[in-house]
Amino acid sequence: MSVKNGINGWAGTILRINLSTGAITTEDTLPKYKPYMGGMGIGYKVILDEVPLTTKAFDEENKVIFSVGPLTASGVPCSGRTTITSLSSWSKGLSILDAHMGGHFAHNIKYAGYDAIIIEGKSDKHVYIKIEDDKVTLEDASEVWGKGTFESNKIVAKACGEEFDVCSIGPAGENLVPYSTIITSRGNSGGAGMAAVLGSKGVKALAIRGTGAVKIARPQELKLLANYMIKDLVGGNNNHNVPRVPQSWAEYSATVNNRWQGAPGRKWELAPHGPVDTGEQPSGQINVAAYRCTKGVHEFGEVALKYTVKQGGCSSCPVRCYTEYQMDCLADYDLPVHASNACIPMSSQSSFYMGNTHDFTYEGDAKLVLAGAGSRAMDDYGVDNNYGNLGRDFIRLYKSGLLKEHMTEEEWNDVPWDLMEAGDPRFVVELYKRFASNKGVWADLTSGSYFLYKKWGLDDASKNSAGLNFYDDVDGNNTNVTYNGYPKHHSIEDAWQSGLLYNLMYNRDCMVHVLTNFVRSGSPFEEVIKPVMEEYFGEGVVDAPKNYTPINDAKIRLAKWAFLEKQWHDSATLCNWMYPMTLSTSPKRRYRGDLELDAKYLSAVTGDDYTLDDIMHDMERISHMLRGMTAISFAINEGVKNLRDTHDAIPAWNFDKDPDIPVFTEGTDKMDREDMEKAKTMFYEAMGWNTETGIPTRETLEKYGLEDLAAKMDEYGLL
Amino acid sequence: MGERNKYLDKEYTRRQFLKLSGKSLAGLAISASMLDVLGVTAEAVAEDKVRVWAFPQGLLVVDADRCVGCQRCEINCTLTNDGCTSSYISRVKVTRNLFSSRQGSGLYTDDPWTYFPDTCRQCEDPACGNACPMQAIYVDESGIRRVDQDKCVGCGACQQACPWHMPTVNPVTHKSSKCIMCGACVEGCPSGALSIIPWDRIVSVSQAI
Repeated sequence: MSVKNGINGWAGTILRINLSTGAITTEDTLPKYKPYMGGMGIGYKVILDEVPLTTKAFDEENKVIFSVGPLTASGVPCSGRTTITSLSSWSKGLSILDAHMGGHFAHNIKYAGYDAIIIEGKSDKHVYIKIEDDKVTLEDASEVWGKGTFESNKIVAKACGEEFDVCSIGPAGENLVPYSTIITSRGNSGGAGMAAVLGSKGVKALAIRGTGAVKIARPQELKLLANYMIKDLVGGNNNHNVPRVPQSWAEYSATVNNRWQGAPGRKWELAPHGPVDTGEQPSGQINVAAYRCTKGVHEFGEVALKYTVKQGGCSSCPVRCYTEYQMDCLADYDLPVHASNACIPMSSQSSFYMGNTHDFTYEGDAKLVLAGAGSRAMDDYGVDNNYGNLGRDFIRLYKSGLLKEHMTEEEWNDVPWDLMEAGDPRFVVELYKRFASNKGVWADLTSGSYFLYKKWGLDDASKNSAGLNFYDDVDGNNTNVTYNGYPKHHSIEDAWQSGLLYNLMYNRDCMVHVLTNFVRSGSPFEEVIKPVMEEYFGEGVVDAPKNYTPINDAKIRLAKWAFLEKQWHDSATLCNWMYPMTLSTSPKRRYRGDLELDAKYLSAVTGDDYTLDDIMHDMERISHMLRGMTAISFAINEGVKNLRDTHDAIPAWNFDKDPDIPVFTEGTDKMDREDMEKAKTMFYEAMGWNTETGIPTRETLEKYGLEDLAAKMDEYGLL
Repeated sequence: MGERNKYLDKEYTRRQFLKLSGKSLAGLAISASMLDVLGVTAEAVAEDKVRVWAFPQGLLVVDADRCVGCQRCEINCTLTNDGCTSSYISRVKVTRNLFSSRQGSGLYTDDPWTYFPDTCRQCEDPACGNACPMQAIYVDESGIRRVDQDKCVGCGACQQACPWHMPTVNPVTHKSSKCIMCGACVEGCPSGALSIIPWDRIVSVSQAI
C-alpha cells in the first residue's frame, strides 16, 4: 500500500497477471515509469517494450494494460479514470490505442496498491480476476460466461463482497467482436475493442477492492486547491461555465444548448421521497456543484426530468454527467427500467428507427425512452459503437439498400423489422443481440468501418451498387475524419484547423474535448471566449463559429496544447471532458480559468514542484511514442513509411461541404485543402516530426530519451 | 404549529436532538418549517430515509435522495484526518453502500440508484467504547467520542461491536479511527446530501419532539 511504501501520488507497484502460466507477480512503478507519468504513458511503454507490433490483437502475445496515474484517487476532482491500452483489432494499421473508463474502478486500483495491472497470456478456462489488495486470484467464471454485463457485474460483486467494484465484458467481448466494450458501474465503459482482447484471453471480469490509501505530500494544500476548483472554476459537464437558464447571480446565460442545465424549477422528478429541485448553483459554492449538469436535459429536453432519479458519475467528480433514469414504461415491453449513460450511447439509439418513433408516457419522450432501452442493451451485450459509426454505417446501408443486398434472405427475415416500424424499444435490443454475435453480416458491421468499407467496396463509389463513398461523400451520416475507420470527435465544426489536426493523430476517434469545452461553453464569444483564449495563446487563436480564417501560429499552438493535454489527462489520470480548467464560472475572474492548476495539483500530491511546461514535456514523449508506434504498425500492416499521406489523409467532405459558400467566409466550417496541408506541415514542425512523413525525427526521439523506440523504427527504415 | 409545540433554547434543542442522534425520525411530528430547514420531505422522514446527527456545529442531515455517489465525503475525510485519501479508513462511509450493499441496494443490484453516506451515530451508550479492552474510546468536552491513539492497540473490537461497523482499524497504522465530527465531509459535499444545519436555525423553527 502506498502509505506503507512512503511514495506520494503513485501507488508504487505494478501488478502482472500471466494467464498462460498463472503467475501473479509485482514490480516497482518507479523509477522506470516516472518519465511516462502513469495511465496512457505506462500502457504505451509496456506495449513498446513487451509486445512486438507484428502481434495481432487476439494473439496470446498481446497484452492489455489497465493503468492509473499519480493524480488518480488523490482527491483531485474528476480523477476517477482508468486507461486501458492494447492493440487495435479494427482500425487501419492495427496499431496501439487506449480506452478510457470512468466509474469507480480507478480509485479501487489505486487503493488496492497498484498503478497498473498488466494482463498477458491466455487462460485455458474462463476466469475472472479477483483483486483484494495484495491477494490476487483467478476465479472460475463459468457461471457468468455468456451473460450480459449487468448480470455478470451483479453476480461477481455479490460473490466477492460489498466493497468490491467490478468491470466485465458481455457477449460481444466473448465472441471477439472488435466493436466491444468493458462495462463498469452502470454504463461506464472502456471501449475500442478492449473487451474482445480480454475475451480472447478468457477473462470475463475483474473484481477489485482496496483497503489502502494514496499518500499525499501536502494534503491541506491539495484540499484547498480542490475546493478552489469546485468553487470558482467548475461548471457543468465539459466545464461549460455559464448556466443555460438565467440565474439571479449570473451575468450570462448560455448562448447554446450547453451542459449546465440545472435551474430553479428543474427537478429530479423521480427522487424517491419527492422531487429534488436543482435550484440555483452560484459560482463560489461547493454544495450545489452536483446540480449544475443535470445532463439529461441537454440531450433530451425537460422531459428527461420526468424520468430522472438522480445524477451519477465517477469517483471524486462533483459534476455528475450520468443521469440515472427509471423508465417504468419499459416494463411494458419486459425490458429493464433502469438506464444511465452519457453522450453517444444515449443520443444515437433512436436513429436506428429510421423515423418510426412514437412517444411513450410523456410528450416528446420517444428519443429518451429508446435511448434508455438501447444504451442499456448496448452496454449489456458489451457492444462499442465507434463513437456512433456503427449506427451511421447501419443507417446509410439500410437507406441505400446495400444492407439488404449484403444480407442473406434468412438474415434479413430474422430481423424483426416490424418492431422498428412500430417504434418498439425491443427492436434496438434485438439489434444489439445480433451486433454481439460476430456472425454473418453482423460480423461485417462490427468488424469496424475500415474493414467493412474495404470488404463491401464502400471506400470507392464504383465498387458498390449505390455509388456511395463512405469516406468522402458529403452526407450527414458520414463523419469519418481519416481513412482509418473512425469518426471525428469534435473537429472542424468546433475548432477549425486545430480540431482537425488532433483528430488525425490517434488510431481511434480522438476523444479530445479540450477545445470543444470552451467553444460550446455557452459563454459569449466576443466578451469571454476570445479575450480569454487570446490571453493564453495569442491573437488569432480562435475563430467565431462558422466564420473561419486561414491557419496561423496561434492555432498551431492551440492544437499542440490540446493534443498534449489529452495525453496528460489519460496519464494523470484526469477526465478529459473536464480538464483543463480553461474557463471559470466566476464573474470576478472575468471567467478566466487556470491552466496551471494541474501542475499545482501534481506538485501538492507528489511533493515535487512541477510547472505545466514540465508536464507538457513528458506528454511530448508519450505523443512521440504514439506516433512512432503508429508508424511501425503502418509499415508492418500497410507497407508504407509515410503517415502524412496515409494515416493523416483527410476525406474530401471536409473540403467539399457547403459548395455554394467560399471557404473562410461566414456560414461554413469547411476547410481548404492547401491551407490544411500547410497546417499539417506547421504542426509536424511544432512536434519535431519530419514534415514529409509526419514521423518523429531521430533527433526528437533522442531528445526525449526514446532511443529504444528509434532503434525499433530503424528496423523498418522509418528514420 | 400545534399547541404541543414549544420553542426551545439552543442548548435544550441540541440535547433533544442528541437523544435522537443517529436514530430514526419516523413517527415524529415535524413542522413544515423544520422540514424546510432540514431540506427534506415529510415522506422521506416517514419512510426513515432521513437521519440526523447532533454535531457541535449543528444538526447533520443525510439525504439519500441527494447523494450522487462521488465519494468526495470519504476523500475529504481522509485528506483532513489522515493526510491521505482512502475509502476504507474514511470515517464517513459511502463506498460500501455504492456497489452491492448489505441492504441489497447499490449500482450492482436491482435497486441501483439507492446509495448514501453513513457515519458514526455518536451513541449515548456506545458499543464501540464498551467493547474496547483498552478503554481507548472516550468522550471529549464537546461530547464527541474519540479514539485515544496512544491507548488503541488496533484489536478491532470496536469495529466488530459497532452495529454499523463505523470505527475502522487502519491497516497501515494499526490504530482505530472514527468520526470526530470535523465537518470536512459536509463542507466538500457537492450535492448537499450531507449538510449541517446550524443550531441557531434549528432553534428558530424547533418544536418539541
